[in-house]
Amino acid sequence: MPDLFVAMFREEWRVHSELFGSVGFALFPVLVGAMACMGTVLVPIVNAALPAGDLATIVHLLFLLVGVMVGGFGLVGNEVMNRRFGQASFVAYAARTLPLSERRIFAAFVAKDTVYYLLLWILPVIAGVALASPFAGLAPATVLRLALTLLLAFLSGLAGLFLITTVWGRSKLAFAVLAGTLVAGSGAIVLATGALPPFPPLELYRSFSWPLLAATLAAIGAALAVSLLLFHPVSSGSERRHPDRFSGLARRLGRLPYPALAAKDLLDLWRSGGGVAQVLFALLLPLGLCWFLISLLARVLPTNGVLLLFSVLAGVLGSTVYTWLTAFDTFGPYGCLPVGVGTLIRSKLTSFGLLQVVPAAVVAVAALATGSGAVALPAVALALGLSAWAVAVTVYLAGLSPNVLVYDPKVLAVYLGGVGLPVIALVALAFASPWLGFAALLLLVPAALLVSAGVRRWEAADGAFF
Amino acid sequence: MAAVIETRDLTKHYGETVAVNNVSLEVPAGALYGLLGPNGSGKSTTIRMLSGQTRPTAGTASVLGIDVATDPVGVRRRIGIIPEQETPPSFLTAAEYLRFVGSVRALEGTDEAADWWFEFLDFGDKRDVLCKDLSRGTRQKLMFAQAFLHRPELALIDEPLVNFDPIVQHQVKEFLVDYVRQGNTIFLSTHILEVAEEICTGYAILHRGRLLHTGTPDELRETGRHLPEVFLALVGRDPAHA
Repeated sequence: MPDLFVAMFREEWRVHSELFGSVGFALFPVLVGAMACMGTVLVPIVNAALPAGDLATIVHLLFLLVGVMVGGFGLVGNEVMNRRFGQASFVAYAARTLPLSERRIFAAFVAKDTVYYLLLWILPVIAGVALASPFAGLAPATVLRLALTLLLAFLSGLAGLFLITTVWGRSKLAFAVLAGTLVAGSGAIVLATGALPPFPPLELYRSFSWPLLAATLAAIGAALAVSLLLFHPVSSGSERRHPDRFSGLARRLGRLPYPALAAKDLLDLWRSGGGVAQVLFALLLPLGLCWFLISLLARVLPTNGVLLLFSVLAGVLGSTVYTWLTAFDTFGPYGCLPVGVGTLIRSKLTSFGLLQVVPAAVVAVAALATGSGAVALPAVALALGLSAWAVAVTVYLAGLSPNVLVYDPKVLAVYLGGVGLPVIALVALAFASPWLGFAALLLLVPAALLVSAGVRRWEAADGAFF
Repeated sequence: MAAVIETRDLTKHYGETVAVNNVSLEVPAGALYGLLGPNGSGKSTTIRMLSGQTRPTAGTASVLGIDVATDPVGVRRRIGIIPEQETPPSFLTAAEYLRFVGSVRALEGTDEAADWWFEFLDFGDKRDVLCKDLSRGTRQKLMFAQAFLHRPELALIDEPLVNFDPIVQHQVKEFLVDYVRQGNTIFLSTHILEVAEEICTGYAILHRGRLLHTGTPDELRETGRHLPEVFLALVGRDPAHA
């Protein structure tokens, strides 16, 4: 298996380095580290504004969130040996001809992805924090402990979601039991102690102990091992049948542009099995964590600040729906049809627009549930306006390949600047008055112009060629 | 007869590799034209360029009078395409995929045309099965159906018989010959030289991206030679390995 892991690792490197050049791709973690470094310099200011210990909690939960966002390996179980690996890793796909079990191939794939995320995101952030530590008043021992516990927080999120999604893939009933147990257990702890359930990496940061470290590592290892043991690809002999849903759906979407393409997108998302789960695990779960993180800031935020900040994050996270839609599709078959890149981008945006009902509903429910129903409308406008702008920036920068081009440091830097500045401006406006959240709708105009420019750009680059 | 496909010095580079090198070719309307060559000779790349799926590096190609470099979508609107390896989208059923193709092409009577194909290629029992769960041969049948759903005047087919059993191969050969008799044109690549000799009205042999030879089976018959023999002499390898 080490040979397979190395081959997959090389393949992943070559895929990206051929697109952006070896130096360009190698600069990606440098950029991530530089951003972390700059953020760390602000730690004394942020720490002074927050109650003691809250910043550490937030940072650990952010790393947990990143782990959660990349840990959905269980969702690819059904497709793992077919569509997913055919696209994602030729080495993994071709390895089926070797005397290796599918479980081993999958384990190598998970290991490769995990190491890649560590190298591209996690370790650069930790290195950036370490570099800036003298300016942030962090002692070397604290930095070392933080590096370890942040790493564990990331791996906890990754292993935890891997286990949960694998259980989901095996049995919805087992998933309900597991999720119910987790929620009930956490709720019981909150009710009994008035405090949050302990998060081992955070506890380790606050008070290091070897037994707790060993227990945390064992728990992460056990979750990964059980997930791999539970993994099973759907047998290739099965034939799933469906009555025609396409015609009715395309008819219902008839007033939208590209109804046939949008109907296909929605059926793809729904039937892939990952569709509902993707909404649940890649959108609702991170949004839940975001809500919790922001609520920690409630004391330093203005009235309705938690909801408004949450709306902003919901908008940015909601824009990633476009990335799923492009990642789910294979563009080769379109080469047989009279459609070009511009048509496909616009059809994906139609499907994207339909699916924005999810973040909009989440924001509306959050507003009503927290007694902020009066500002629900500007909060939803904030989320939708920002989502539209963020997706327009994505389309302009990455066309139909956002999940690949995000690893180009130039693309990432421009994306962060292009989305970050409006985010800051809108947060400031909304904090001044929630009703100014409607200002986000003004972004729809430049977003439409940027999409048009993006379509022209990618048509000039790729035209109708796939 | 007017040429429906016309290339001038058509060239395609993939980095340092020259996949197709200065190919100039004319295919007359009403032909069943075979593009032959060993693995890696540039057949699939040529078909991909002619069908507007990949952009030529140099040279020109005109299909039904349309420049493929400037209007690839226009070319694809008029022709039918069966790529070598593409499969239909995973999460539509076979019937839904044909309706999807009919919708994108804005066709009338898609259901009737689809029914004809399900019956003709004998895979009506698979119409409600997800494309991803279809066998390779059934996927190929579906790709065949989508290419001819709109009755194009020109079809470009990369390896039309691969994955088909002998019965379906026979049916497909008969269909292609009959389709051309109705005034349409077929341009296909194949490894099976005997098939090319049996059904094609003209052929071209590519090797290492270069056009080595063009001819017709009638010309072969006049010389008393067979296509595998000519192919072997030109390419210099055992035709069984082509």
